[in-house]
Amino acid sequence: MGELFVAVMLLLMSILIFFQSGDFTHLNESQLGPGSYPQLIAILLGSLSLILIISQSRKLLKETSRASKDNLKAGFQSFYAEYKLVLQMIVLLALYIFLIDVTGFLITTILFVVIAGLLIGPKEKKNLITLSIVSVVLTLSTYLFFQNVLHVRFPGGLFF
Amino acid sequence: MFDLLILGMNEILQVHILFIILLGVIVGILAGLIPGFTVAMAIVLTLPLTFGMDPVTGVAAMIGVFVGGMSGGLISATLLGIPGTPSSIATTFDAHPMAKKGNPGKALSIGIWASFLSSIISLFLLVTIAPQLARFALMFGPWEMFALIILSLTIIASVTGDSVIKGLMAGLFGLMIATVGADPIAGISRFTFDFGVLRAGIPFLVVLIGMFAISRLLVFLEKTEMERDKKDKQQQDLEKVKFVLQPIQTLKMVLKRPGTLTGSSIIGSVVGAIPGAGGSIANIIAYDQAKKWSKNPEKFGTGCEEGVVASEAGNNSTVGGDLIPTVALGIPGSAVTAVLLSALMIHGITPGPLLVTDEPNIVGGIFFAFFVASFWMLITQFAGMRYFVKVTLIPTHILVPVIFVLCVVGTFVLNNRTSDLYILLVMGLIGYLFTKYKFALAPAIIGVILGPIAEVNLRRAFMTNPDWTLFLTRPIALTFLILTVVSIVFTVLQTRRSNKRAAKNLS
Repeated sequence: MGELFVAVMLLLMSILIFFQSGDFTHLNESQLGPGSYPQLIAILLGSLSLILIISQSRKLLKETSRASKDNLKAGFQSFYAEYKLVLQMIVLLALYIFLIDVTGFLITTILFVVIAGLLIGPKEKKNLITLSIVSVVLTLSTYLFFQNVLHVRFPGGLFF
Repeated sequence: MFDLLILGMNEILQVHILFIILLGVIVGILAGLIPGFTVAMAIVLTLPLTFGMDPVTGVAAMIGVFVGGMSGGLISATLLGIPGTPSSIATTFDAHPMAKKGNPGKALSIGIWASFLSSIISLFLLVTIAPQLARFALMFGPWEMFALIILSLTIIASVTGDSVIKGLMAGLFGLMIATVGADPIAGISRFTFDFGVLRAGIPFLVVLIGMFAISRLLVFLEKTEMERDKKDKQQQDLEKVKFVLQPIQTLKMVLKRPGTLTGSSIIGSVVGAIPGAGGSIANIIAYDQAKKWSKNPEKFGTGCEEGVVASEAGNNSTVGGDLIPTVALGIPGSAVTAVLLSALMIHGITPGPLLVTDEPNIVGGIFFAFFVASFWMLITQFAGMRYFVKVTLIPTHILVPVIFVLCVVGTFVLNNRTSDLYILLVMGLIGYLFTKYKFALAPAIIGVILGPIAEVNLRRAFMTNPDWTLFLTRPIALTFLILTVVSIVFTVLQTRRSNKRAAKNLS
C-alpha cells in the first residue's frame, strides 16, 4: 500500500519535472540543453514507478478481495496507536522550525527539548527537572560554541 | 608507494589534530554503541563542527568517527546480543554466547584486537591500491566517468534494499533532487517553482541529515520500536555485567589465527570498496566464509574465537575498502564516505581522480588519520570500555530530542538560513516514508552527491563530440555499461530464484 503511494508520488514528480524541463533558455548547445538531463532522469524514474505501480496494485487487488471492510476502523485505530508519537513529533518539529524565526533560537530550543522529552518519556516531575537541565545546558553550549568559535549568528527572534 | 603516507604523517602529527581524532573516535564509539543510532548519523552531525577547521583536520576528525563507529557496535553486540549498528550483526552470533559463558572480557578483547588489526590490513590495501586506481582513472574522459557513475549507482541500487527496481527508483530520486537549482554548465535556474530558497539547489548535507538522522529518529518513536527498546534495556542491565579485559592474552589468540584475520580483512576491504555494500554485508559474508574454511565449523555460533575475529575483522576493514573508490575516483561507496566527500567540497576541494595528484597532502592526511584513528580506537576501547557501557543507560526521551536539536543546528549552520530547515523537515519525511516502505536510502544519497558530476560529464561528452555511440565504442566506457546491465540482470535473477525457494518452503 505504502509502496504504491511512494511510487505514485514519484510518478507525479517525474511528470512534473518532465514538462517543466521543456522551456529552459537554450544556449547554443548542439545536443543537450539544461532541460535534457532532467528529462532523461524523469523518463527513467517515471517508467520505473509505473512498473512498480502496476505490479503492486496487482498484488493489492489479490489481497483486498480477501480482507473485509469491517477491519478498516480497527486498522485505523491500531495505525494511530503505532504512529501516534511519530505524528506528534513531526508536528512539534514543524512548529519548532517555524517558531525559531519568531521567538529565537534560545527560547524555542529549550522549550522544544522539554516538550519533546515529556511527550516521549514519563510525564513526571523528576523527568521535567532533568529535561530542563539538559535542555538549558545543550542550548547554551551549542549557542556559545557556534557563536564564538564558528561565528554563526543564530536567529534572535523578537526578544533579543 | 608510501610517500603519500609520509606526507600525511607531517600533516597529522600535531597535538591538536591528534586530539581531535581522539574525540572523533570517542564520538564514533558512542554512536556505534547505542542501539538504533548509526555511524552515518554521527558523522553527518559531526560535519558542521568541522566547518571552522582546515580541510585536513576536519576530514581527520570524521575518519575518527568512522573508525570508532565501526568498532563501537562490538560492545552492545557482545554484552547485550543486540547489534548496536547493522554492521555488527554477525558479531552477536559468537561474541554474545562467549560472553554468556562467563567470558565477556575475552570476547570484547578479541573483538577489539580483530578490529584494530583488520583496520591496519585494510589501510595497507588502501595505501597500495588507491593511488594506482587514481592513475588509471586519469585516462577517463567524460564518457567513462558518466558510465562509471551509472555503474556505481546501479550496483548500489542492487545491493541495498529489497528489490532492484526500488533501489533504482531511490537512486533516480536522488539524481532528480540534485537537478534542482542552477544548472551546472549554463547556470540557468531549474525547478525552483518560484521559491527563492531553491535557487541555490537543495543542499546535499540537508538531504543527508533529513534522510538519515531525522527519519531514523522518527522510526525510533514508533510504538513497537519503543517497546522493543524498553524490553532490551530491562532484559540485561549493563551496569551489572562484570568483565576483565585481557589485552595481552587475546592478542596472542588473534595472532594465532592469521588465516581468519587476513581472509576476513580482505573480504571486508573488497566488500567495502563495492559501492553500496558496507560493514553490514561484509560482517556477515566474512563470518560465513570463515565458517566454510574453518576446520571445525560446528563450533561457530557457540562462542568460538574464530567467529568473533571473522565478524569484527570483516566490518572494520570495510573502512579502508570504502575509502579506495572515494579517494581514487571521487565516488563514495557509502553514506559515510559521501559525507566525507561533501566535507571536502565545502572546503573547496573537488574530489575525483585528480585528487591524489592535486592535493596529495589531503589524501596522505586521510591515510594517516585512518592509521592514528585505529590506534586511538584500540587504546580508548581498552581504557574506556567501562565508561562507554554506561552510555546505553541514557534514556531515549532525553537522547531523541537532543539529537533532533543537533540536526536542526547542523542544518542551520551550513548556510545560516532558516529556510533550509523546512527542506530538512520535508527530506526527513521523505526519508521516513522511504525507510518505512523499504526504499533504500543509500542510493538516494549517493545519487544526490553524484548527480551534478554525472550531468556535467554527460553534457561535456556531447559537447566534445555529438556522437552518442562513443559510449559504446570506447572500451572502458563499454565495459562499465556492460557491467551495469550484468549487475541488474544478475540481481533480478537472484531475487527470482530466492523468491521461488521461499515459495517452495512455504508450500
